[in-house]
Amino acid sequence: MTLKMSAHSIQARLLALVLGLVTLVWLVAAGLTWLDAQHELDELLDSHLAQAAALLVVQQIETGRGGDDDVMPRDAPLLHKYAAKVAFQVFHEGRLVARSENVGTVPLSMELSGFSTVRQPDQTEWRVFATRGAENDVQVFVGEQTSSRDAILMAVLRGLLMPLLLAMPVLALVLWWAVRLGLRPLRLMGATIAARQPNAIEPLTLKGLPLEVQALVQALNGLFGRIGELIESERRFTADAAHELRTPIAAIRTQAQVALGSGPDEAGREHALRQTLAGCDRATRLVEQMLTLARLETAGTTQTGRVELGALARQVAAAMAPTALARGQALELDAGLACDVAGDEMLLGVLLRNLIDNALRYSPDGARVLLAVTHDAGAVVLAVHDSGPGLNDEQMARLGERFYRVLGSDQPGSGLGWSIIRRIAQVHGAALQVRRSALLGGLEVTLRCPTRGSDPTGA
Amino acid sequence: MRLLLAEDDPMLGDGLRAGLRQLGFQVDWVRDGLAAERELVTGAYAAAVLDLGLPLKDGIDVLKTLRERRIMTPVLVLTARDAVPDRVRGLDLGADDYVIKPVDLHELGARLRSLVRRSHGQPCDTLTWGTVVLQPASRQVSLDGEIVPLSTREFDLLQALMINAGRVMSREQLEQHLYSWGLEVDSNTIEVHIHHLRKKLKPDLIQTVRGIGYMVQREDPSA
Repeated sequence: MTLKMSAHSIQARLLALVLGLVTLVWLVAAGLTWLDAQHELDELLDSHLAQAAALLVVQQIETGRGGDDDVMPRDAPLLHKYAAKVAFQVFHEGRLVARSENVGTVPLSMELSGFSTVRQPDQTEWRVFATRGAENDVQVFVGEQTSSRDAILMAVLRGLLMPLLLAMPVLALVLWWAVRLGLRPLRLMGATIAARQPNAIEPLTLKGLPLEVQALVQALNGLFGRIGELIESERRFTADAAHELRTPIAAIRTQAQVALGSGPDEAGREHALRQTLAGCDRATRLVEQMLTLARLETAGTTQTGRVELGALARQVAAAMAPTALARGQALELDAGLACDVAGDEMLLGVLLRNLIDNALRYSPDGARVLLAVTHDAGAVVLAVHDSGPGLNDEQMARLGERFYRVLGSDQPGSGLGWSIIRRIAQVHGAALQVRRSALLGGLEVTLRCPTRGSDPTGA
Repeated sequence: MRLLLAEDDPMLGDGLRAGLRQLGFQVDWVRDGLAAERELVTGAYAAAVLDLGLPLKDGIDVLKTLRERRIMTPVLVLTARDAVPDRVRGLDLGADDYVIKPVDLHELGARLRSLVRRSHGQPCDTLTWGTVVLQPASRQVSLDGEIVPLSTREFDLLQALMINAGRVMSREQLEQHLYSWGLEVDSNTIEVHIHHLRKKLKPDLIQTVRGIGYMVQREDPSA
């Protein structure tokens, strides 16, 4: 398995982040330790230099009191190979009286008192402690090469950093494995979803999933649920539509065949041909209604503008008046002023047309249909009354069931009008109510449209 | 041949009734399941065309009731329900044929004739008695190879008798075969048609069983 360093890989990001942080913490720790060690080391070694210088001063004073007049300085032998890294010089009254083998006769430092760091002619760097004897005629220099201090510090640093260097690949490997293990539920879920059939929308199981993934899976399941409802609604609609289209088409076909086979029976042929035409009209209407409904099914909420419901009702009623008049039906409108609602004019027009059409269609010849648009408690209420036979409780309950048609009516309805009315009302957040008309004795349908900011239920 | 048509759609029902009548069937039309059941239990029909999505009582339930009551009238289910489980269920519940809308009228007629034929144990459409040959599809009857012109009623009567060859048919049964609703039947109409058939075809084709009815024998004894 290779490490994908893609910006979208959680595994790579986690790995880089953790390894980076570990390195940083380690480096800071090493730095602090190094500084601390340097400080302590300087303190210790400087005190050794001072101690050695004090020793030499005391010794020189003792020998000085001896009063011998040595001309030649004494050279202390190098007793150990490490001794090359430390050195001393003792001057008495400006004369070099003692020194270690590895230094020259020039004073180690220009500084005659205290610590100094100086570069010698051979380019080595020395830490030097200088002091004068009590009687001011003794000058002692004790020095030590700084490189030895650096070597110690480097050793300390090495001790700190080497384990990091060695541990890094191991840590990276272990972390990679751990992160991979941690992300396993995600990977498993991905595989599960990938292996699904396109139409499999049953929810994923939450059992055994970590909390973080559960939230994701729950969201996914919610989505699956909504998609499932949509698919189911589509499927049901297609099945219903196929079913409902077969009957009018069968009627058209049969009537056409009757017309063809009617022989000398002219009246029979004409009747069959008229029925064929009527069947075509009916199928057309059914298809139109189904398309309207199908479009509405996928529509969310549409609040595109202000619609004057009274004016719209007048317009739709005017278009339907001829049909009503032909059957001796009275279509009346009673519209209040400024009945503005928020909504889509085209859709509300379809709703009105279906409401009026239903009232006219299922009322007998000579019936009355009354439309009223009024204000009521912060809502605009559209009511359609008719003097038709009305509906019983069972029929009212089944109203709006797709393709449900009231029994015993010879009217060629599609059974979709109510589905359309209900859906448009729903899209507009309007409340729809059906009851017996107290005014005309038939059916009363009321649509309560909220005006801006009011409650559509009127509660 | 008298059929019961159970179809709630006014336009399709009207068309099927007219079309089946053109094909020579006597058709009674009911628009709901209860009426269909009420009519079918009388046993007066040679066959029934049954829609499934009927109001008041679903066609499937009508079919179930019929078969439970041992009424064996052949039933052709004519429906828009095309799902395989629906078809299987319909056939299992006792439908003799299952046809999806829309259907060709001639095919529907042929299927109905086939159902009626099979219900009488006849293997093929043509009915023969000696040299008398009756072809239901073309509604023609021939004697010794010569076509004999018959009236609609005469043909229907002969067909009813020949389909039920070997069985005595009462006058009421024959009337039921001949007339759909709303047609007045004269008391002696059957006798008149029988008389004409004997004269046009063969005198001994139709036998009178006194006090019971009429019968065509399975085979022409003289042949």
